[in-house]
Amino acid sequence: MTVLGPFLFGAPLALFALLSLPVIWWVLRATPPAPKDVELPSLRLLEGVEPKEETPARTPWWVWLIRTLAAAAAIIGLSQPVYAPGARNEAPDAGGALLVVVDNGWPSAPRWSELVDAATATLDTGGRDAATHLLLTAPQTLNTDPAMRLSRADMGKRLSSLRPQSWSTDRTEALERLKDSGLKPARIFWASDGIEDEGGRAFAAALSSMAPLSVFAAPPKGPAAITGITSQTDSVSVTLRRVQPRGEERSFVSALTLDGSALATAEAVFNDGEREAVASFTIPAAALSRIARFTATGRQGAGTVWLWDSSNRSRRVGLVDAGSVAQPLLSDMHYVRKALEPFASITEGNIEALVSTSPDAIILTDIGQILPEDGKRLTEWVEEGGALIRFAGPHLAAQGDDLLPVALRRSSRALGGALAWDEPQAMAPFPANSPFDGLSIPPDVRIKQQVLAKPAPDLARKTWARLADGSPLVTADSRGSGTLILFHITAGPDWSDLPYSGTFEQMLRRSIAAGRGESVSDTEGAYSPQLVLDGYGRLAAAGANAAPLKAADFGTVKPSEAHPPGLYQGPSGTRALNAGAGARPSLIESWPLAARLLGDAEARSLRLAGPLLSLAAILLALDLFIALLVAGHLPGLGRRAKGAAALLLVCALGFSLTPPADAQSYRYQQMPDGSYRRVSTAPNVVPITGPGRATQKEIDAALVMRFGYVETGDRALNERTRAGLSGISSVLNLRTSVEPDEPDGLNLETDALELYPLIYFSTPEGAPPLSATAIAKLNAYLRSGGALVIDTRAGGTVGTDTDVAPLEGLLEGLDAPPLQPVPTNHVLARSFYLLDDFPGRFANRRLWIEKTGGPNAPRGDGVSRLFIGDADWISAWAVDGRGRDLYSVDGGPTQREMARRFGVNLVMYVLTGNYKDDQVHLPALLERLGNGDEDEADPRLPERLPEGGPQ
Amino acid sequence: MTPSSDLRAEAEALARQLPNLNFKAEASEAAHIGSAGRRRAGTGEQFWQYRRYAQEDAADRVDWRRSAKGHELFVRETELETARTVLFWCDPHAGFNWKGDGDIRTKADEARLLMLTLGIMMSKDGERIGALGAGRTPSFGKRAVDRLAEDISNGAGRPFPPPPRTSATLVIASDFYDPIPEWQARLKPLAAKCPEGVLLAVAAPIEENFPFSGRVKLHRPGADTDRILGRAETMREDYQRKFAAQREALLALATQIGWRFVSHTTGKPSLHGAARLKLAVESFGARG
Repeated sequence: MTVLGPFLFGAPLALFALLSLPVIWWVLRATPPAPKDVELPSLRLLEGVEPKEETPARTPWWVWLIRTLAAAAAIIGLSQPVYAPGARNEAPDAGGALLVVVDNGWPSAPRWSELVDAATATLDTGGRDAATHLLLTAPQTLNTDPAMRLSRADMGKRLSSLRPQSWSTDRTEALERLKDSGLKPARIFWASDGIEDEGGRAFAAALSSMAPLSVFAAPPKGPAAITGITSQTDSVSVTLRRVQPRGEERSFVSALTLDGSALATAEAVFNDGEREAVASFTIPAAALSRIARFTATGRQGAGTVWLWDSSNRSRRVGLVDAGSVAQPLLSDMHYVRKALEPFASITEGNIEALVSTSPDAIILTDIGQILPEDGKRLTEWVEEGGALIRFAGPHLAAQGDDLLPVALRRSSRALGGALAWDEPQAMAPFPANSPFDGLSIPPDVRIKQQVLAKPAPDLARKTWARLADGSPLVTADSRGSGTLILFHITAGPDWSDLPYSGTFEQMLRRSIAAGRGESVSDTEGAYSPQLVLDGYGRLAAAGANAAPLKAADFGTVKPSEAHPPGLYQGPSGTRALNAGAGARPSLIESWPLAARLLGDAEARSLRLAGPLLSLAAILLALDLFIALLVAGHLPGLGRRAKGAAALLLVCALGFSLTPPADAQSYRYQQMPDGSYRRVSTAPNVVPITGPGRATQKEIDAALVMRFGYVETGDRALNERTRAGLSGISSVLNLRTSVEPDEPDGLNLETDALELYPLIYFSTPEGAPPLSATAIAKLNAYLRSGGALVIDTRAGGTVGTDTDVAPLEGLLEGLDAPPLQPVPTNHVLARSFYLLDDFPGRFANRRLWIEKTGGPNAPRGDGVSRLFIGDADWISAWAVDGRGRDLYSVDGGPTQREMARRFGVNLVMYVLTGNYKDDQVHLPALLERLGNGDEDEADPRLPERLPEGGPQ
Repeated sequence: MTPSSDLRAEAEALARQLPNLNFKAEASEAAHIGSAGRRRAGTGEQFWQYRRYAQEDAADRVDWRRSAKGHELFVRETELETARTVLFWCDPHAGFNWKGDGDIRTKADEARLLMLTLGIMMSKDGERIGALGAGRTPSFGKRAVDRLAEDISNGAGRPFPPPPRTSATLVIASDFYDPIPEWQARLKPLAAKCPEGVLLAVAAPIEENFPFSGRVKLHRPGADTDRILGRAETMREDYQRKFAAQREALLALATQIGWRFVSHTTGKPSLHGAARLKLAVESFGARG
């Protein structure tokens, strides 16, 4: 190699060809470009005409400049120049063996190419024939033997094929290997990552004592590693560390999903004097669960990748809001929500929306019957691994479905009531096989009421918690890969004290964890590597050298070849082993005095032959292109060239003027279909326009109270119902302060039911079942406090029971509470008039209302929301446009009057609830006041009441 | 080269847009006694009708053979026969069968289109049309147009045709870029036989404008010669002067032999050229 300034030349003689450049230049200058070739038939006219001015055709100056440059570049390229500023400093005759030491742990990855370049450049210096040896500091089975002699060409190949490893270096071990090999190098070159971590200074001192040492240190610039992470329900903080504390630096961290798409980016700022910086993400919990890893943006290396396993994530829980929201503090969900809020992200909604977001667990409180379609969705979701947690309650006690772990008896068991012998029960210790095992049993918790499981052989196996008397309190069963969990009590304090205790929270938490087939305590079992990181921080399938890792070792083991950083699959989900976890990389500040430190520029060599020859080729291609253009062989290009150039210029300007799109103001929002979309967080102003989407009918119904009736396929029946409601409305207008407007016909599927305090449903004969949508809306209507009157209009003789068979088909899926005939002294019989019977067209028929248990009735103040009868009231109420009665009534005008009084009472009951409940005690009050002694007749008899009002 | 059926269709469309040919009848009657019947009585060879003798008829016009058959005198009338023969010729030179960038059709096609238009109108009027040097006798009617379209496209490779045996009106289409003496030598025999003729010079816009600049190699189609101009723009004025001089010389030549000269450019509407060609042919009728 010939040295010429900072350049080395492999074939210096080729430079003599530069002498021929003037000749080439002269020849090129004299050769004109090819003329444009044109056909012209009238050329004959020009015969004999000599051109006045035939300027000598000359090559334009820029053409020969291009050609000359191309020739020069080709000549220089052929002389194989190498730019190596460090070459001058080496003693050219330093013979003897050269030892190249390369740090190939994860800290070298960001500047790996520089390290390899420096090591390769050092090969260009010194004697050509001296042997070279290689020592790698990252521990590895079958590591290179430093004693092995390598020629310089082999060494170059070897260096360029090296890859950084994803674990860190062990220089003590490397030094031992060097000593064992007995090599006596004449010169040592150390391409170092410059990190003190593994005894860097001691290693440098040892090397320096063996032979003259040159060091090229390339410590990672900016963040070196992600060292830790903390997460809350909807935020994550990522801790970055750099190797030196000087200066202010900014860096970005990306949160990536498993397939590598970025969900969010956050900035981390290293302040001057600090080694650590924190990047904080605020991400909705649902999106958070999709994050698989964090990387320092734009940096390669295993240290700046943090794989996020499932163990320290918050769970996503869906709560099905079924109950009325009028009294949120009394609802069961309130307790669940309060218990879960600290450690889980909570979504509320209906079953369909929740399942579409596939949370870890869904919690249902006291829902007796799930709609068939929702049931199907839930079943699919559970079988894919969800945890469905249900709480018992009056509805569930009345009728269960098949999404339960055990079969239930159709009633609840009350403990410690007035008529019960046994006391409220305490909880028994948790069974050993239960996930609740290990939780403390609060001694003061008492269970007052529960639903009972039917005895079955496997009941004990399914039981997670039981009462002191052995009856199950929590049962669970697996369905597909998911779990069904039933708490046999309500989530609120109606049935037990458990929701008041802290154990309740723990139990819920462990139940939710079951949703992914994980248990909370997982120190057992071995985890086998599934995906591992390579040195550049890319995920790859685990290789043969990766060995399984014991669960207890996570957190203590350091990544190595046997346990490379990556994701490990084990009995309770995946666990991650991260290269940068807890790492404290810092710079080697002081080097041995004898060692010579190479700067960045000196350690680099650049082979220029390839670039120069490429330049020559590109120039020649350009020249060819120009020649074709001048000769007119590229038609159209000349015309378009200007336009294209202008377009390019505009594009370039546009790009340069576009403000850099950075990751500052967006977040991810969940769409209704379960996907995520990036939305701007800029203020979003929605202009308010007009009356919105409410129809005139809805507006009218909201402004003036009126009744609704269900429109059926039978038009005559609709008319009759309308006339009936219209009649009772006019009666109300005349006699009471309730002044309803004309009734509305309702389509159950499309109309807004919640605007009507009472909906009358005259069931047609042989009608098809209501659609699922209609049933769902009716269920919602009933839960939110509406009143539904169902009239089968069948009538019948005295003593025949109400025939509800057609209703079962028609209203399949209606979440009907348990029913009872109206008891005597019920408030319905006294809410306005005092009534004995509730006649319509038919007298002496039964009226069924919701069974309201004692004072512990869970909601609605014990007011029934459902009325089922067959007395055909609307026919008795019906009047035509002029107020004349339309239909005959069995008992004549007296019964019609009674029917109207029932209507008034019904409306009063629906509107005022149990306000008149104290009327039940009226006889006793009257008696005490001494008013009952005149006549022994029942004061409830309507004949004795003044016309127009009860009291 | 445009297919002859396409040319024919376009020519029909052009002919419909032009008014009918208007030869001065007396002049043509006096000039030619041809064979085409005019469907009315007049001088001719074919029998037309017998009509009764009238007072003003000369006695020698009585056809006695017919009159001897009855008591009345009859005069025999013959059909009026006047016809003009028009022969067309289109230059088959490669330079003529050429079009510049952006032109719709070649100069030869343009010339054929104009000539076919004229031929269609003439054959409708009963004139006889044909191609000069094609060897087929001129005729009239639909067939004649078909033949003409065929014949004027088939001139390639043939030498310049000799004059026809009988006198006819000639239409000679070329770009006339050959030197004037050459053309004079070619046209002289024709002019000696046929006193009526039209020279139709068709040029391409490029040939008129000479829009070249810079270093250009010019090449004449059909000839091996080419010529490199260092700066073509300096030659433009010379060229245009030459071009104009050639046109003037042609006009002088045509006038000298009693013919008409019509120039046309492919860039201009064909109707324009057809109308001027028609005017030139009609003018022969007016002259006499």
